[in-house]
Amino acid sequence: MSKYVIETKQLTKNYGEQTAVNAVNIHVEKGRIYGLLGRNGAGKTTIMKMILGLTPVTSGEVDVFGQNIKGREKRVYPRIGAIIETPGFYPNLTGTENLEIFAKLRGTAAPNAVKNALGIVGLPYRDKKLFSKYSLGMKQRLGIANAILHDPELLILDEPTNGLDPIGIAEVRGFIKALSTERGKTILISSHILSEIALLADDIGIIDHGVLLEENSMEVLEEKNSKYILLQVSDIPKTSLVLERQFGVTDYSVQDDHFLRIYNTSLDMAAVNKALVVQDVAVISSQLCNDTLEDYFKKITGGEGIA
Amino acid sequence: MKQLLWAERKKLHHSKIVWIAAFSVIMTAIIVFAQGQFTFNGLRYVDGAGWFMTATQSLATFYVLPAIVALLGSYMICREEQEDTMKSLRLVPIDEAKLTVAKMIVAMIFSVLIYLMLFMITFVAEAVMHFRMLSVQMVFGFLYTYFVNGVGIFLAISPIIALVARMKRGYWLALVFAEIYSFAALFASMSETLKTVYPITAVFQLSGYYEATIGNKVVSLVILIVCMALAALILTGLTHSNKRYIH
Repeated sequence: MSKYVIETKQLTKNYGEQTAVNAVNIHVEKGRIYGLLGRNGAGKTTIMKMILGLTPVTSGEVDVFGQNIKGREKRVYPRIGAIIETPGFYPNLTGTENLEIFAKLRGTAAPNAVKNALGIVGLPYRDKKLFSKYSLGMKQRLGIANAILHDPELLILDEPTNGLDPIGIAEVRGFIKALSTERGKTILISSHILSEIALLADDIGIIDHGVLLEENSMEVLEEKNSKYILLQVSDIPKTSLVLERQFGVTDYSVQDDHFLRIYNTSLDMAAVNKALVVQDVAVISSQLCNDTLEDYFKKITGGEGIA
Repeated sequence: MKQLLWAERKKLHHSKIVWIAAFSVIMTAIIVFAQGQFTFNGLRYVDGAGWFMTATQSLATFYVLPAIVALLGSYMICREEQEDTMKSLRLVPIDEAKLTVAKMIVAMIFSVLIYLMLFMITFVAEAVMHFRMLSVQMVFGFLYTYFVNGVGIFLAISPIIALVARMKRGYWLALVFAEIYSFAALFASMSETLKTVYPITAVFQLSGYYEATIGNKVVSLVILIVCMALAALILTGLTHSNKRYIH
């Protein structure tokens, strides 16, 4: 049994001559939030559609819950809740009526499923407002309510905070986080907003022009989002001894034979340099570095597009 | 299927098309009633027992109700793509062939209901005007005719519903096509042979609105079954084309 809830292998999608998604390998672990980050048109929605079997795969494989989804939709879809692009509902019906239809078609057994789902996203139950009169933010909330209505194990949310105001974004972020931490849901979420993904995701996949540039856990990426002093020295073991014994520094990491990072940026570097020289260690360079996640993403995607 | 039928009925809540249909039925009855004020040999047409219930059928069927049924049927099928709800339904998942069948069944029930509504309006009007002149046999005879008209008109226009759903070009086209199709029935009704084989007038042959032989009724029934089969054929193509789109 695979440890991944979603796993794609060399997933590729071509539209004629154009390659929208190119050999993407995504690994979404159970109970974690996976953020798919990329600028508009990077291929995020196409990947999600292929995972859900809503669009044909040109080549490669998609495994959901350890098996290929094709031909198993009836068994797999009840375990998935999804919003792809803008949520589609019947404009002549209220939010409650729309959800009642989907609950009935899914055979959702819980008697208060609709009420609970609306409560979670902050929409009123039995409100008389028709879907056609909803704001974009309300439509998004209803889409999320529909996705969680049947208490699925896996949520696939394509830009779920589109159109929400800042307070709405924070609320949605809060309950998505809670769904993962409190109820153990596995969530695949896409966004072009770095800060949103950074606040939510446990794992991140960065996609650009259909290519997955990096896939890593948030902890690893956060290491790249820090201030540190980069020290280039002639002798790393001696430097370590000096830092630990004379300055009590333990928050540092050795990069290679000559470089180490000191994360305590308030350290008196003049005193450190002097102590190292006394111990016959040559200090070749010492500089304060300040890498942010945004800098990192811009660097690997080669420019603009991620807010 | 039961859930799909429930859902299709629910989807029509607050729908303008239902109100348009109700308004059309009432207006048809009012227009025919107004026509009935003309006199013949000193008597108003509408004073004749059964005249109102008879005359309403032709006006409703040649000019109004087929277009309304076609509009509703194609609206129900086209709306899933136009309102972008199909992707949500696919994720339920629902069987698209069954969904289409459910929509066609609801459209047929709707067709029967609007004919029965028309029957109720005309019957109440006749009862108010001359209750004693109405016999139970006559009333039930008209009820049967209206019921068969409701089912038959749905069958007759079902290929139009299917065609417009297949074209994916907006359900209002169904109204235009059905209007032309039902209006042409006026000319078909002038020929004994044509009125048996032209689907709209075939409904009248079958329902008893026209006096018809058993042979004519059988031919008309076959014509309506062919219409239904044609619609099924077109809709099967629609489901397959959607599936090709998905996978």
